Amino acid sequence: MFVAQGVPREHFRAVYEALRSAPREELETIQERVTRSFSQEGITFTVCGDEEAEERIIPIDCVPRLLTLAEWSELEAGLVQRITALNLFLGDVYGDCRIVRDGVIPIDVVFDCPQYRLEMRGVSVPNNTWVAVCGTDIVRTHDGFMVLEDNLRVPSGVSYMIANRKAVKAGMRRLYRTCRVQEVEDYGSLLRQTLTEMAPGGRPDPSLALLTPGTWNSAFYEHMFLAQEIGAELVEGQDLLVNDGFVYMRTTAGLRRVDVVYRRVDDDFLDPLVFRDDSLLGVPGLLNAYKRGNVTLANAPGTGVADDKSVYAYVPDMVRYYLAEEPLLKNVETHLCRRPEDLEYTLDNLEDLVVKRVGESGGYGMLVGPHSTPKERDEFSELLRANPADYISQPTLPISRSPCLVDGRAEPRHVDLRPFVLTGAQTRIVPGAFCRVALRRGSLVVNSSQGGGGKDLWVVDL
Amino acid sequence: MLSRSAQGVYWMGRYLTRAQYLSRLLELHVQALVDRSVEEIHFGWRRIYRAMKRLPPAGESWLPEAEEFALADSFTLADDLTFERSNPDSVWSSLELGRENARQMRHCISAEMWTCLNLAYLRIRDLETVDIWRTPETFYAQTCNEIHNFVGLADATMYRSGAWRFMRLGCAIERVQLAVSLILAQAELGRRMKRRRLGWASMLRMHHASEAYSRRYGIEIRRGRVLDLLVGDPLLPASLLSSVRAAAEELEAIETGPDLEADAAARRLVGRAGALILYDWPEARDREQLLRRVDRCTRDLHGTVLDAFVDYGIQDSPLR
Repeated sequence: MFVAQGVPREHFRAVYEALRSAPREELETIQERVTRSFSQEGITFTVCGDEEAEERIIPIDCVPRLLTLAEWSELEAGLVQRITALNLFLGDVYGDCRIVRDGVIPIDVVFDCPQYRLEMRGVSVPNNTWVAVCGTDIVRTHDGFMVLEDNLRVPSGVSYMIANRKAVKAGMRRLYRTCRVQEVEDYGSLLRQTLTEMAPGGRPDPSLALLTPGTWNSAFYEHMFLAQEIGAELVEGQDLLVNDGFVYMRTTAGLRRVDVVYRRVDDDFLDPLVFRDDSLLGVPGLLNAYKRGNVTLANAPGTGVADDKSVYAYVPDMVRYYLAEEPLLKNVETHLCRRPEDLEYTLDNLEDLVVKRVGESGGYGMLVGPHSTPKERDEFSELLRANPADYISQPTLPISRSPCLVDGRAEPRHVDLRPFVLTGAQTRIVPGAFCRVALRRGSLVVNSSQGGGGKDLWVVDL
Repeated sequence: MLSRSAQGVYWMGRYLTRAQYLSRLLELHVQALVDRSVEEIHFGWRRIYRAMKRLPPAGESWLPEAEEFALADSFTLADDLTFERSNPDSVWSSLELGRENARQMRHCISAEMWTCLNLAYLRIRDLETVDIWRTPETFYAQTCNEIHNFVGLADATMYRSGAWRFMRLGCAIERVQLAVSLILAQAELGRRMKRRRLGWASMLRMHHASEAYSRRYGIEIRRGRVLDLLVGDPLLPASLLSSVRAAAEELEAIETGPDLEADAAARRLVGRAGALILYDWPEARDREQLLRRVDRCTRDLHGTVLDAFVDYGIQDSPLR
């Protein structure tokens, strides 16, 4: 936000002045209005406790994070490059495996990954697009933007991007107009366009369905919101059936064919005949219909192999290998504990590193070295020695902070951002992101399950 | 539309109609607590519980019927009908279930409808019990109004697709069932307590029919006239005939279901209910018996609608 003590960056000047000059009560009123709008509109996520599920509201900070159009363009180019490489990688590892045969990525990193789906070997996907919707977590350090992780399975949060925008825009009209903020409202139509392009055999006006695990899924609001935005039926597994290799949904007028399933159900639960046989969320025979090319699943099953925390370390190499370009977006330096030298380094520097379990997400199964106790580090040392391949470590990054309204005044908090990249016949990105914020003072963990919140990201044309 | 979505909005309509109907009943009854005789008050509670097919909190099957309501005070009874979670038909349970169905089917209703319903839910959820019982009639009236607003917003903002039809079908079927139950409870209690004239004025108020009655028949309340108005008047929105016609209209507008047999049966049932009221009612000797037949028709209609559009066998279903 600042270039020097008390001197805001040029593009942040308008927000800085607005925050500085606004009376505390006015800021609190805006904050309250934003929070209340989420409550009134029921923009919630569901947390399942032991006894019953509870609807919660994600805490939203009303002060927007700002990026200039030039900064956004730089980020956008990097995201397009990265998703192109990742899609090529997926086509390759489920095809000829050239990247492995050429020794760019070790064979065990790919094939030992639990998210690698043998069932997808030899499958071709429309437009060679495996990942139609990607949510890439980005942080900013002194070295510029860095990718924290790629979410290539069922990334969520885009509904908050749009809801945050609506609420903050209503609360800060004048400032919004002054900043000439780029709009994000097109996301729904772009997603529909993307999914339409993925229809089997290029079927015109395909029938779309959004497959949700159900109302108790934490992201159900988002599923409902997106179904409405893209004009798809919001279906659960029980609404679909496979007949003669085609997928149908039960409608009040009979069975109606489905062409594209935007699935928000994990691979494991998609088809009990192929994956977990105890799944009640999926559709028996779905994968067979998919492999026969009668229905498109977006994202394709098996994409998890490309966002595995071990594979992540090789994404810059993928960019070089497939595109013969230098990566525009940096990775965070990553130590794969499966390598003895990396394990040793990690064990020696636990106090300074962030250790993550490969298969975990949502901020679980991780150790933030600088904030850990000796006991926690001892426990992690044992875990690392027992199963080194399950862990990676990364340096603790001095990630950027953004002003947040805390008790009526602005205080800095660590933030990241998750832009959403859509790929059908071409790649599209709306100029915005779900910006996550670590609301606890000093915390680096932005996950909503760990006390994180959200804020709006404004891409400003100044 | 998706069968499960149709089922969701159908139930949303039913639950919200139930919450509104019971709120209205309770609003009028707590108003009556101020200046009515104990006998009249007991009659009112018994009528409500009988219509809802529920025993009062302190009621036991071994008690003489007349004493069931002497054991609990009015606030206990009102609380049982308003907030009791174990009572699936209480105002709160119905509203909560209606809102939950709406939450799950938000993509089928308008944003305005959802916000209106969610605000009503949040308001009631955050109320202090003490404040409610200070002026309970205000609470019930407000709840009624909020559901009225929801229905009005639906009328103004909801796309006239299958969701609209199924929601209105649910509302209409629920209205018929509740109204038949209440009329039967009124008639049966009056007969058993040998107080045949008691409670008919409140039946008119309950169904927003007092003005229509006095315009048509004058100020003297007669049981037969009240019944004619509440059952067979096509101009009274809350009459049985209007509700049955609304159900028939919605069913007519819905595309034929894949289970042709069940679809035809549903249309027959609603037609039969309408014919019973339109043609048999004026001359019927045993009017209670006739109302029971209407009740049976609409209860069967509920199951048949679900068979026709939701729970149909896939082997007979056309592929599209």
